[in-house]
Amino acid sequence: MSDWSQVTRPIPVPNEWTRPFWKAAKRGVLALQRCQSCGHFQHPPYATCTQCVSTDLKFEPVQGRGAIYAYTIMYHTGDKRFASAVPYASIIVELDEAPGALLAGNLLGAEYTDAKVGRRVEIVFEKLNDDITLPQFRLAATERG
Amino acid sequence: MWENRCKVALSGVGFSKVTRSADIPLAAHALVAVKEAVADSGLRIEDIDGLATYPELPATGHAEVDGISIVSVNCMMAMLKLPNLAWHIQVGTVNIGGAVQQAANALLAGVCNYAVVWRAMHNPRGTYQNLPGQYAAGAAQFTAPYGFGGPGQGMAVAYTRWLERHGQSREKMATLAVTQRQHTQHNPHAYFYGTPLSREDYLASRMVAYPFCLFDCDIPVQGAVAIVLTTAERARDLKPRPAYLAGYGQRLHFEVAGRIGSLADYMEGGRSSAKLTWERSGFGPADVDVAQIYDGFSASVIYGLESYGFCKEGEALDFIQDGRIELDGDLPLNTFGGSLGTGRIHGLWHIIEGALQASGRAGSRQVKDANVSFVGASAPIVTGTTFIFSREPY
Ligand SMILES: [Zn+2]
Repeated sequence: MSDWSQVTRPIPVPNEWTRPFWKAAKRGVLALQRCQSCGHFQHPPYATCTQCVSTDLKFEPVQGRGAIYAYTIMYHTGDKRFASAVPYASIIVELDEAPGALLAGNLLGAEYTDAKVGRRVEIVFEKLNDDITLPQFRLAATERG
Repeated sequence: MWENRCKVALSGVGFSKVTRSADIPLAAHALVAVKEAVADSGLRIEDIDGLATYPELPATGHAEVDGISIVSVNCMMAMLKLPNLAWHIQVGTVNIGGAVQQAANALLAGVCNYAVVWRAMHNPRGTYQNLPGQYAAGAAQFTAPYGFGGPGQGMAVAYTRWLERHGQSREKMATLAVTQRQHTQHNPHAYFYGTPLSREDYLASRMVAYPFCLFDCDIPVQGAVAIVLTTAERARDLKPRPAYLAGYGQRLHFEVAGRIGSLADYMEGGRSSAKLTWERSGFGPADVDVAQIYDGFSASVIYGLESYGFCKEGEALDFIQDGRIELDGDLPLNTFGGSLGTGRIHGLWHIIEGALQASGRAGSRQVKDANVSFVGASAPIVTGTTFIFSREPY
Protein backbone atom coordinates (compact mmCIF):
# COMPACT_ATOMS: atom_id res chain seq x y z
CA MET A 1 0.00 0.00 0.00
CA SER A 2 1.30 3.45 -0.90
CA ASP A 3 2.76 5.31 2.07
CA TRP A 4 1.46 8.87 1.91
CA SER A 5 2.76 9.88 5.35
CA GLN A 6 6.03 11.31 3.99
CA VAL A 7 4.48 13.06 0.97
CA THR A 8 4.28 16.86 0.93
CA ARG A 9 1.57 17.78 -1.55
CA PRO A 10 1.48 21.09 -3.43
CA ILE A 11 -1.19 23.17 -1.67
CA PRO A 12 -4.11 24.38 -3.82
CA VAL A 13 -4.51 28.14 -4.18
CA PRO A 14 -8.22 29.02 -4.39
CA ASN A 15 -9.24 31.75 -6.85
CA GLU A 16 -12.46 33.58 -7.79
CA TRP A 17 -13.86 30.51 -9.56
CA THR A 18 -12.77 27.84 -7.14
CA ARG A 19 -13.06 29.41 -3.67
CA PRO A 20 -16.52 27.91 -2.89
CA PHE A 21 -15.21 24.44 -3.73
CA TRP A 22 -12.40 24.72 -1.17
CA LYS A 23 -14.64 26.38 1.45
CA ALA A 24 -17.02 23.44 1.24
CA ALA A 25 -14.17 20.90 1.30
CA LYS A 26 -12.90 22.47 4.51
CA ARG A 27 -16.29 21.61 6.08
CA GLY A 28 -16.06 18.06 4.73
CA VAL A 29 -18.55 18.71 1.93
CA LEU A 30 -17.98 18.11 -1.75
CA ALA A 31 -19.64 20.96 -3.66
CA LEU A 32 -19.54 21.22 -7.44
CA GLN A 33 -20.41 24.06 -9.77
CA ARG A 34 -23.92 23.63 -11.15
CA CYS A 35 -25.66 25.46 -13.94
CA GLN A 36 -28.86 27.04 -12.64
CA SER A 37 -30.35 27.11 -16.15
CA CYS A 38 -29.93 23.50 -17.29
CA GLY A 39 -28.92 21.68 -14.08
CA HIS A 40 -25.55 20.47 -15.45
CA PHE A 41 -22.80 19.80 -12.87
CA GLN A 42 -19.23 20.52 -13.95
CA HIS A 43 -15.67 20.26 -12.65
CA PRO A 44 -13.22 21.94 -12.76
CA PRO A 45 -15.17 25.21 -12.28
CA TYR A 46 -15.46 27.37 -15.36
CA ALA A 47 -16.77 30.79 -16.44
CA THR A 48 -19.76 29.34 -18.28
CA CYS A 49 -21.84 26.19 -18.28
CA THR A 50 -20.00 23.87 -20.68
CA GLN A 51 -23.36 22.51 -21.80
CA CYS A 52 -25.64 25.55 -22.35
CA VAL A 53 -23.22 28.53 -22.04
CA SER A 54 -25.24 30.07 -19.17
CA THR A 55 -23.26 32.16 -16.69
CA ASP A 56 -25.74 31.48 -13.88
CA LEU A 57 -23.62 29.01 -11.91
CA LYS A 58 -23.72 28.07 -8.21
CA PHE A 59 -21.94 25.49 -6.08
CA GLU A 60 -24.18 22.70 -4.75
CA PRO A 61 -23.28 19.78 -2.48
CA VAL A 62 -23.07 16.29 -3.98
CA GLN A 63 -22.75 12.93 -2.26
CA GLY A 64 -19.33 12.04 -3.60
CA ARG A 65 -20.04 8.52 -4.81
CA GLY A 66 -18.97 7.43 -8.23
CA ALA A 67 -16.73 5.21 -10.31
CA ILE A 68 -13.13 5.30 -11.46
CA TYR A 69 -13.26 6.79 -14.96
CA ALA A 70 -9.53 6.42 -15.62
CA TYR A 71 -6.29 6.07 -13.70
CA THR A 72 -2.54 5.86 -13.92
CA ILE A 73 -0.02 4.24 -11.61
CA MET A 74 2.97 6.45 -11.00
CA TYR A 75 6.39 4.81 -10.85
CA HIS A 76 8.46 7.82 -11.89
CA THR A 77 10.07 9.65 -8.99
CA GLY A 78 10.84 12.88 -10.82
CA ASP A 79 9.16 14.89 -8.07
CA LYS A 80 10.96 13.82 -4.91
CA ARG A 81 8.07 14.90 -2.68
CA PHE A 82 6.00 11.98 -4.00
CA ALA A 83 8.86 9.48 -4.18
CA SER A 84 8.01 7.72 -0.90
CA ALA A 85 4.51 6.85 -2.16
CA VAL A 86 5.66 5.28 -5.45
CA PRO A 87 4.04 3.28 -6.93
CA TYR A 88 0.75 5.07 -6.30
CA ALA A 89 -2.56 5.34 -8.11
CA SER A 90 -3.73 8.72 -9.38
CA ILE A 91 -7.32 8.35 -10.42
CA ILE A 92 -10.01 10.28 -12.28
CA VAL A 93 -13.51 9.85 -10.85
CA GLU A 94 -16.87 10.43 -12.49
CA LEU A 95 -19.57 11.05 -9.87
CA ASP A 96 -23.02 9.47 -10.09
CA GLU A 97 -24.71 12.83 -9.69
CA ALA A 98 -22.43 14.71 -12.05
CA PRO A 99 -21.78 12.76 -15.26
CA GLY A 100 -19.08 14.48 -17.29
CA ALA A 101 -17.53 16.21 -14.27
CA LEU A 102 -14.16 14.57 -13.71
CA LEU A 103 -12.37 14.79 -10.34
CA ALA A 104 -8.75 13.85 -9.81
CA GLY A 105 -7.67 12.07 -6.64
CA ASN A 106 -5.54 9.29 -5.23
CA LEU A 107 -6.89 5.89 -4.31
CA LEU A 108 -6.32 5.89 -0.54
CA GLY A 109 -6.34 2.87 1.76
CA ALA A 110 -5.99 0.36 -1.04
CA GLU A 111 -3.31 -1.38 -3.03
CA TYR A 112 -2.40 0.57 -6.15
CA THR A 113 -3.31 -2.54 -8.13
CA ASP A 114 -6.91 -2.08 -6.91
CA ALA A 115 -7.37 0.83 -9.30
CA LYS A 116 -9.50 -0.36 -12.23
CA VAL A 117 -11.79 1.51 -14.58
CA GLY A 118 -15.36 1.24 -13.35
CA ARG A 119 -14.65 0.34 -9.69
CA ARG A 120 -16.88 2.12 -7.17
CA VAL A 121 -15.31 4.80 -4.99
CA GLU A 122 -16.45 7.31 -2.38
CA ILE A 123 -15.14 10.62 -1.14
CA VAL A 124 -12.91 11.05 1.90
CA PHE A 125 -11.26 14.25 3.07
CA GLU A 126 -7.57 14.77 3.76
CA LYS A 127 -6.68 17.88 5.76
CA LEU A 128 -3.56 19.60 4.39
CA ASN A 129 -3.52 22.67 6.67
CA ASP A 130 -5.95 24.97 8.48
CA ASP A 131 -7.27 26.38 5.22
CA ILE A 132 -7.15 23.53 2.75
CA THR A 133 -8.74 20.11 2.96
CA LEU A 134 -8.28 17.89 -0.05
CA PRO A 135 -11.11 15.74 -1.42
CA GLN A 136 -9.77 12.20 -1.92
CA PHE A 137 -11.21 8.79 -2.72
CA ARG A 138 -11.28 5.28 -1.30
CA LEU A 139 -12.96 2.15 -2.58
CA ALA A 140 -16.67 2.04 -1.76
CA ALA A 141 -17.73 -0.36 1.04
CA THR A 142 -19.12 -2.81 -1.54
CA GLU A 143 -15.69 -2.94 -3.23
CA ARG A 144 -13.70 -3.25 0.00
CA GLY A 145 -15.38 -6.58 0.66
CA MET B 1 -13.13 20.76 -51.91
CA TRP B 2 -10.69 23.53 -50.99
CA GLU B 3 -10.13 26.04 -53.79
CA ASN B 4 -6.47 26.30 -52.70
CA ARG B 5 -5.82 22.57 -52.86
CA CYS B 6 -2.23 21.94 -54.00
CA LYS B 7 -1.47 25.63 -54.48
CA VAL B 8 1.20 25.60 -51.76
CA ALA B 9 4.09 23.15 -51.56
CA LEU B 10 6.72 22.05 -49.08
CA SER B 11 10.14 22.33 -50.69
CA GLY B 12 13.39 22.18 -48.69
CA VAL B 13 13.96 20.49 -45.33
CA GLY B 14 16.75 20.90 -42.78
CA PHE B 15 17.95 19.20 -39.60
CA SER B 16 20.32 20.10 -36.80
CA LYS B 17 22.15 17.48 -34.78
CA VAL B 18 19.89 15.89 -32.19
CA THR B 19 21.68 15.58 -28.86
CA ARG B 20 20.65 14.47 -25.41
CA SER B 21 22.19 17.37 -23.55
CA ALA B 22 22.11 21.08 -24.28
CA ASP B 23 25.80 21.63 -25.00
CA ILE B 24 25.27 24.58 -27.31
CA PRO B 25 22.51 27.23 -27.22
CA LEU B 26 19.31 26.16 -28.96
CA ALA B 27 19.54 29.13 -31.35
CA ALA B 28 22.57 27.48 -32.97
CA HIS B 29 20.56 24.30 -33.62
CA ALA B 30 17.72 26.31 -35.17
CA LEU B 31 20.10 28.27 -37.38
CA VAL B 32 21.70 25.08 -38.75
CA ALA B 33 18.28 23.59 -39.54
CA VAL B 34 17.00 26.75 -41.23
CA LYS B 35 20.14 27.23 -43.35
CA GLU B 36 20.04 23.59 -44.41
CA ALA B 37 16.36 23.84 -45.42
CA VAL B 38 17.04 26.97 -47.49
CA ALA B 39 20.05 25.33 -49.17
CA ASP B 40 18.03 22.14 -49.80
CA SER B 41 15.58 24.27 -51.79
CA GLY B 42 18.46 25.81 -53.75
CA LEU B 43 17.58 29.24 -52.36
CA ARG B 44 19.72 31.90 -50.70
CA ILE B 45 18.93 33.23 -47.22
CA GLU B 46 18.07 36.62 -48.81
CA ASP B 47 15.22 34.94 -50.71
CA ILE B 48 13.39 34.13 -47.47
CA ASP B 49 10.66 36.69 -46.75
CA GLY B 50 8.40 34.85 -44.29
CA LEU B 51 9.08 33.34 -40.83
CA ALA B 52 6.85 31.26 -38.58
CA THR B 53 7.28 29.09 -35.51
CA TYR B 54 5.73 27.76 -32.34
CA PRO B 55 8.43 28.31 -29.72
CA GLU B 56 6.94 26.77 -26.54
CA LEU B 57 9.09 24.74 -24.14
CA PRO B 58 6.82 21.88 -23.04
CA ALA B 59 8.96 21.07 -19.98
CA THR B 60 7.10 22.42 -16.95
CA GLY B 61 8.77 24.44 -14.25
CA HIS B 62 11.67 25.67 -16.44
CA ALA B 63 12.31 29.24 -17.59
CA GLU B 64 11.82 30.16 -21.24
CA VAL B 65 14.99 31.99 -22.27
CA ASP B 66 14.99 33.10 -25.90
CA GLY B 67 17.88 31.59 -27.83
CA ILE B 68 18.66 29.07 -25.08
CA SER B 69 15.47 27.21 -24.19
CA ILE B 70 13.24 28.54 -27.01
CA VAL B 71 13.87 30.12 -30.42
CA SER B 72 11.25 32.77 -31.12
CA VAL B 73 10.57 34.63 -34.37
CA ASN B 74 12.36 37.65 -32.88
CA CYS B 75 15.42 35.54 -32.20
CA MET B 76 15.46 34.14 -35.75
CA MET B 77 14.92 37.61 -37.23
CA ALA B 78 17.90 38.94 -35.29
CA MET B 79 20.10 36.04 -36.43
CA LEU B 80 19.16 36.02 -40.13
CA LYS B 81 18.85 39.80 -40.78
CA LEU B 82 16.63 39.09 -43.79
CA PRO B 83 16.71 42.05 -46.19
CA ASN B 84 13.41 41.10 -47.83
CA LEU B 85 11.43 39.96 -44.78
CA ALA B 86 7.74 40.72 -45.39
CA TRP B 87 5.76 38.56 -42.92
CA HIS B 88 6.14 36.62 -39.68
CA ILE B 89 4.03 34.98 -36.99
CA GLN B 90 4.24 32.97 -33.80
CA VAL B 91 1.21 30.78 -33.10
CA GLY B 92 -0.25 29.72 -29.75
CA THR B 93 -3.16 27.32 -29.98
CA VAL B 94 -2.13 24.41 -32.17
CA ASN B 95 1.62 23.87 -31.85
CA ILE B 96 3.91 23.87 -34.88
CA GLY B 97 1.24 22.63 -37.29
CA GLY B 98 -0.52 25.95 -36.78
CA ALA B 99 2.63 27.82 -37.80
CA VAL B 100 2.84 25.74 -41.00
CA GLN B 101 -0.81 26.45 -41.76
CA GLN B 102 -0.39 30.18 -41.16
CA ALA B 103 2.63 30.23 -43.46
CA ALA B 104 0.56 28.48 -46.15
CA ASN B 105 -2.15 31.09 -45.69
CA ALA B 106 0.37 33.94 -46.00
CA LEU B 107 1.71 32.43 -49.24
CA LEU B 108 -1.83 32.08 -50.60
CA ALA B 109 -2.57 35.68 -49.63
CA GLY B 110 0.51 36.76 -51.56
CA VAL B 111 2.13 38.56 -48.62
CA CYS B 112 5.33 36.49 -48.85
CA ASN B 113 6.94 34.13 -51.40
CA TYR B 114 9.29 31.83 -49.47
CA ALA B 115 8.42 31.10 -45.85
CA VAL B 116 10.62 29.24 -43.38
CA VAL B 117 9.09 27.34 -40.44
CA TRP B 118 11.21 25.79 -37.71
CA ARG B 119 10.70 23.90 -34.46
CA ALA B 120 13.51 24.00 -31.93
CA MET B 121 13.32 21.89 -28.77
CA HIS B 122 15.38 22.23 -25.63
CA ASN B 123 16.19 19.58 -23.06
CA PRO B 124 16.66 21.33 -19.72
CA ARG B 125 18.92 19.98 -17.02
CA GLY B 126 17.26 18.07 -14.19
CA THR B 127 13.72 16.72 -14.14
CA TYR B 128 11.83 17.52 -17.35
CA GLN B 129 8.37 17.83 -15.83
CA ASN B 130 8.22 19.45 -12.42
CA LEU B 131 5.17 19.78 -10.23
CA PRO B 132 4.58 23.34 -9.08
CA GLY B 133 6.45 24.38 -5.93
CA GLN B 134 4.82 24.51 -2.53
CA TYR B 135 1.56 25.86 -3.98
CA ALA B 136 -0.61 24.83 -6.93
CA ALA B 137 -2.50 27.71 -8.55
CA GLY B 138 -4.80 27.86 -11.58
CA ALA B 139 -5.81 24.61 -13.24
CA ALA B 140 -3.07 22.73 -11.34
CA GLN B 141 -4.90 23.18 -8.01
CA PHE B 142 -7.13 20.24 -8.97
CA THR B 143 -4.38 17.97 -10.30
CA ALA B 144 -0.93 18.67 -8.80
CA PRO B 145 -1.90 17.87 -5.17
CA TYR B 146 -2.58 14.31 -6.34
CA GLY B 147 0.79 13.96 -8.05
CA PHE B 148 -0.37 14.77 -11.58
CA GLY B 149 2.55 16.58 -13.17
CA GLY B 150 3.34 16.66 -16.88
CA PRO B 151 1.27 15.67 -19.91
CA GLY B 152 2.41 12.05 -19.66
CA GLN B 153 0.07 11.26 -16.81
CA GLY B 154 -2.80 13.06 -18.54
CA MET B 155 -2.26 10.82 -21.54
CA ALA B 156 -1.78 7.75 -19.35
CA VAL B 157 -5.19 8.05 -17.65
CA ALA B 158 -6.97 8.24 -21.01
CA TYR B 159 -4.94 5.21 -22.12
CA THR B 160 -6.06 3.03 -19.15
CA ARG B 161 -9.63 3.95 -19.94
CA TRP B 162 -9.14 3.00 -23.57
CA LEU B 163 -7.44 -0.31 -22.65
CA GLU B 164 -9.99 -1.42 -20.07
CA ARG B 165 -13.09 -0.22 -21.92
CA HIS B 166 -12.02 -2.11 -25.03
CA GLY B 167 -10.57 -5.17 -23.27
CA GLN B 168 -7.15 -4.55 -24.82
CA SER B 169 -3.62 -5.18 -23.53
CA ARG B 170 -0.67 -2.80 -23.51
CA GLU B 171 1.68 -5.57 -24.67
CA LYS B 172 0.34 -5.08 -28.20
CA MET B 173 1.93 -1.62 -28.23
CA ALA B 174 5.32 -3.34 -28.51
CA THR B 175 4.63 -3.70 -32.24
CA LEU B 176 4.46 0.08 -32.63
CA ALA B 177 7.63 0.74 -30.65
CA VAL B 178 9.62 -1.99 -32.41
CA THR B 179 8.39 -1.16 -35.93
CA GLN B 180 9.11 2.53 -35.48
CA ARG B 181 12.58 1.74 -34.14
CA GLN B 182 13.18 -0.35 -37.29
CA HIS B 183 12.18 2.67 -39.38
CA THR B 184 14.53 4.81 -37.30
CA GLN B 185 17.45 2.77 -38.63
CA HIS B 186 16.80 4.40 -42.03
CA ASN B 187 16.97 7.94 -40.58
CA PRO B 188 20.54 9.08 -39.80
CA HIS B 189 19.27 12.33 -38.23
CA ALA B 190 17.33 10.46 -35.53
CA TYR B 191 18.53 10.19 -31.92
CA PHE B 192 18.04 6.39 -31.87
CA TYR B 193 19.70 5.79 -35.26
CA GLY B 194 22.02 2.86 -34.68
CA THR B 195 20.17 1.68 -31.56
CA PRO B 196 17.78 -1.18 -32.26
CA LEU B 197 14.88 -2.14 -29.97
CA SER B 198 13.45 -5.63 -29.58
CA ARG B 199 10.02 -6.74 -28.44
CA GLU B 200 11.73 -8.20 -25.35
CA ASP B 201 13.38 -4.82 -24.61
CA TYR B 202 9.97 -3.15 -24.74
CA LEU B 203 8.21 -5.70 -22.56
CA ALA B 204 11.01 -5.68 -19.96
CA SER B 205 11.40 -1.91 -19.73
CA ARG B 206 10.60 -0.03 -16.55
CA MET B 207 7.20 1.53 -15.92
CA VAL B 208 7.04 5.33 -15.89
CA ALA B 209 3.32 6.01 -15.53
CA TYR B 210 1.31 2.84 -16.11
CA PRO B 211 0.34 1.92 -18.82
CA PHE B 212 3.36 3.82 -20.20
CA CYS B 213 6.75 2.17 -19.93
CA LEU B 214 9.96 3.95 -20.87
CA PHE B 215 9.62 3.11 -24.57
CA ASP B 216 6.11 4.58 -24.79
CA CYS B 217 7.60 8.03 -24.14
CA ASP B 218 9.75 10.04 -26.55
CA ILE B 219 13.13 10.97 -25.14
CA PRO B 220 13.73 14.68 -24.42
CA VAL B 221 16.47 16.01 -26.69
CA GLN B 222 18.01 19.22 -27.93
CA GLY B 223 17.56 19.83 -31.64
CA ALA B 224 15.75 21.64 -34.43
CA VAL B 225 14.19 20.96 -37.82
CA ALA B 226 13.03 23.42 -40.50
CA ILE B 227 11.17 23.63 -43.79
CA VAL B 228 10.73 25.98 -46.73
CA LEU B 229 7.17 26.51 -47.93
CA THR B 230 6.31 28.33 -51.14
CA THR B 231 3.60 28.54 -53.76
CA ALA B 232 3.25 25.49 -56.00
CA GLU B 233 4.31 27.51 -59.03
CA ARG B 234 7.52 28.73 -57.40
CA ALA B 235 8.21 25.30 -55.88
CA ARG B 236 8.39 23.74 -59.34
CA ASP B 237 11.39 25.96 -60.16
CA LEU B 238 13.31 24.93 -57.05
CA LYS B 239 15.78 22.09 -56.59
CA PRO B 240 13.72 19.35 -54.89
CA ARG B 241 10.53 17.83 -56.20
CA PRO B 242 7.70 19.64 -54.35
CA ALA B 243 5.24 17.98 -51.98
CA TYR B 244 1.88 19.61 -52.63
CA LEU B 245 -0.34 20.59 -49.71
CA ALA B 246 -3.69 19.08 -50.64
CA GLY B 247 -5.48 20.07 -47.44
CA TYR B 248 -5.16 20.73 -43.75
CA GLY B 249 -7.23 20.98 -40.56
CA GLN B 250 -6.90 21.85 -36.91
CA ARG B 251 -8.70 20.61 -33.81
CA LEU B 252 -11.89 22.54 -33.10
CA HIS B 253 -12.53 21.13 -29.65
CA PHE B 254 -10.78 21.65 -26.36
CA GLU B 255 -11.30 20.40 -22.86
CA VAL B 256 -11.59 22.89 -20.02
CA ALA B 257 -8.18 23.50 -18.43
CA GLY B 258 -7.55 21.16 -15.52
CA ARG B 259 -10.01 18.55 -16.77
CA ILE B 260 -7.90 15.56 -17.65
CA GLY B 261 -8.37 12.04 -18.81
CA SER B 262 -11.43 12.40 -21.01
CA LEU B 263 -11.05 9.95 -23.87
CA ALA B 264 -14.11 11.45 -25.55
CA ASP B 265 -12.37 14.83 -25.75
CA TYR B 266 -9.31 13.27 -27.41
CA MET B 267 -11.46 11.64 -30.02
CA GLU B 268 -13.48 14.77 -30.72
CA GLY B 269 -10.30 16.81 -31.17
CA GLY B 270 -8.94 14.40 -33.76
CA ARG B 271 -12.22 13.92 -35.59
CA SER B 272 -12.76 17.66 -36.02
CA SER B 273 -9.30 18.22 -37.50
CA ALA B 274 -9.42 15.20 -39.80
CA LYS B 275 -12.91 16.06 -41.10
CA LEU B 276 -11.64 19.42 -42.38
CA THR B 277 -8.61 17.74 -43.94
CA TRP B 278 -10.58 15.04 -45.77
CA GLU B 279 -13.14 17.57 -47.02
CA ARG B 280 -10.56 20.10 -48.21
CA SER B 281 -8.27 17.56 -49.88
CA GLY B 282 -10.99 15.40 -51.41
CA PHE B 283 -9.21 12.32 -50.08
CA GLY B 284 -10.36 9.83 -47.45
CA PRO B 285 -8.55 7.39 -45.14
CA ALA B 286 -8.71 4.63 -47.79
CA ASP B 287 -6.76 6.83 -50.25
CA VAL B 288 -3.78 7.27 -47.92
CA ASP B 289 -0.55 5.53 -48.97
CA VAL B 290 1.61 6.49 -46.01
CA ALA B 291 0.88 8.14 -42.63
CA GLN B 292 2.80 10.02 -39.96
CA ILE B 293 0.88 10.26 -36.68
CA TYR B 294 2.24 12.13 -33.68
CA ASP B 295 3.69 9.81 -31.07
CA GLY B 296 5.16 11.90 -28.26
CA PHE B 297 3.45 9.26 -26.12
CA SER B 298 2.63 6.02 -27.93
CA ALA B 299 -1.09 6.17 -27.10
CA SER B 300 -1.43 9.32 -29.23
CA VAL B 301 -1.13 7.02 -32.23
CA ILE B 302 -4.19 5.07 -31.03
CA TYR B 303 -6.27 8.23 -30.67
CA GLY B 304 -5.00 9.42 -34.04
CA LEU B 305 -5.67 6.21 -36.00
CA GLU B 306 -9.17 6.00 -34.54
CA SER B 307 -10.28 9.64 -34.55
CA TYR B 308 -8.88 10.34 -38.03
CA GLY B 309 -10.88 7.38 -39.34
CA PHE B 310 -8.19 4.80 -40.21
CA CYS B 311 -9.85 2.20 -37.98
CA LYS B 312 -12.76 1.86 -35.58
CA GLU B 313 -12.63 2.88 -31.91
CA GLY B 314 -11.05 0.19 -29.77
CA GLU B 315 -9.27 -1.47 -32.71
CA ALA B 316 -6.05 0.53 -33.16
CA LEU B 317 -3.77 -1.91 -31.33
CA ASP B 318 -5.06 -4.76 -33.51
CA PHE B 319 -4.86 -2.58 -36.63
CA ILE B 320 -1.10 -2.03 -36.25
CA GLN B 321 -0.24 -5.77 -36.07
CA ASP B 322 0.88 -8.24 -38.74
CA GLY B 323 3.14 -5.88 -40.67
CA ARG B 324 0.47 -3.38 -41.65
CA ILE B 325 2.52 -0.37 -40.51
CA GLU B 326 5.87 -1.58 -41.89
CA LEU B 327 7.45 0.13 -44.91
CA ASP B 328 5.90 -2.41 -47.29
CA GLY B 329 2.63 -2.76 -45.37
CA ASP B 330 -0.86 -1.47 -46.17
CA LEU B 331 -0.35 1.69 -44.10
CA PRO B 332 3.33 2.44 -43.47
CA LEU B 333 3.32 4.51 -40.28
CA ASN B 334 5.85 6.94 -38.80
CA THR B 335 8.34 5.90 -41.46
CA PHE B 336 11.06 8.22 -40.11
CA GLY B 337 10.88 6.55 -36.70
CA GLY B 338 8.40 8.97 -35.16
CA SER B 339 9.23 11.01 -32.08
CA LEU B 340 9.92 7.69 -30.34
CA GLY B 341 12.85 7.29 -32.75
CA THR B 342 14.03 10.84 -33.43
CA GLY B 343 13.62 12.26 -29.93
CA ARG B 344 11.17 14.94 -28.78
CA ILE B 345 11.06 17.53 -31.58
CA HIS B 346 7.23 17.77 -31.67
CA GLY B 347 5.29 17.52 -34.92
CA LEU B 348 7.35 19.34 -37.54
CA TRP B 349 9.40 16.22 -38.22
CA HIS B 350 6.14 14.33 -38.91
CA ILE B 351 5.25 17.06 -41.43
CA ILE B 352 8.71 16.86 -43.00
CA GLU B 353 8.47 13.09 -43.40
CA GLY B 354 4.97 13.37 -44.87
CA ALA B 355 6.37 15.73 -47.50
CA LEU B 356 9.52 13.67 -48.17
CA GLN B 357 7.40 10.56 -48.76
CA ALA B 358 5.08 12.46 -51.12
CA SER B 359 7.99 13.87 -53.12
CA GLY B 360 9.86 10.55 -53.28
CA ARG B 361 12.80 11.88 -51.26
CA ALA B 362 12.72 9.50 -48.28
CA GLY B 363 15.76 7.47 -49.34
CA SER B 364 16.02 3.89 -48.06
CA ARG B 365 12.74 4.28 -46.15
CA GLN B 366 10.79 5.49 -49.21
CA VAL B 367 7.36 3.87 -49.46
CA LYS B 368 6.81 2.56 -52.99
CA ASP B 369 4.34 4.58 -55.06
CA ALA B 370 3.54 6.92 -52.19
CA ASN B 371 1.15 9.49 -53.57
CA VAL B 372 -1.26 10.52 -50.82
CA SER B 373 0.66 11.21 -47.62
CA PHE B 374 -1.18 11.93 -44.34
CA VAL B 375 0.18 13.73 -41.27
CA GLY B 376 -1.31 14.11 -37.79
CA ALA B 377 1.18 16.60 -36.40
CA SER B 378 0.29 16.71 -32.68
CA ALA B 379 -1.75 14.85 -30.10
CA PRO B 380 -5.34 15.11 -31.35
CA ILE B 381 -6.86 16.96 -28.41
CA VAL B 382 -4.03 19.05 -27.08
CA THR B 383 -2.73 20.86 -30.14
CA GLY B 384 -3.81 18.69 -33.04
CA THR B 385 -3.38 19.56 -36.70
CA THR B 386 -3.65 17.30 -39.74
CA PHE B 387 -2.29 17.58 -43.29
CA ILE B 388 -2.30 15.78 -46.60
CA PHE B 389 0.61 16.11 -49.00
CA SER B 390 0.40 14.70 -52.50
CA ARG B 391 2.93 13.78 -55.16
CA GLU B 392 0.85 15.26 -57.97
CA PRO B 393 -0.77 18.75 -57.93
CA TYR B 394 -4.33 17.54 -58.46
ZN1 LIG C 1 -26.22 24.91 -18.45
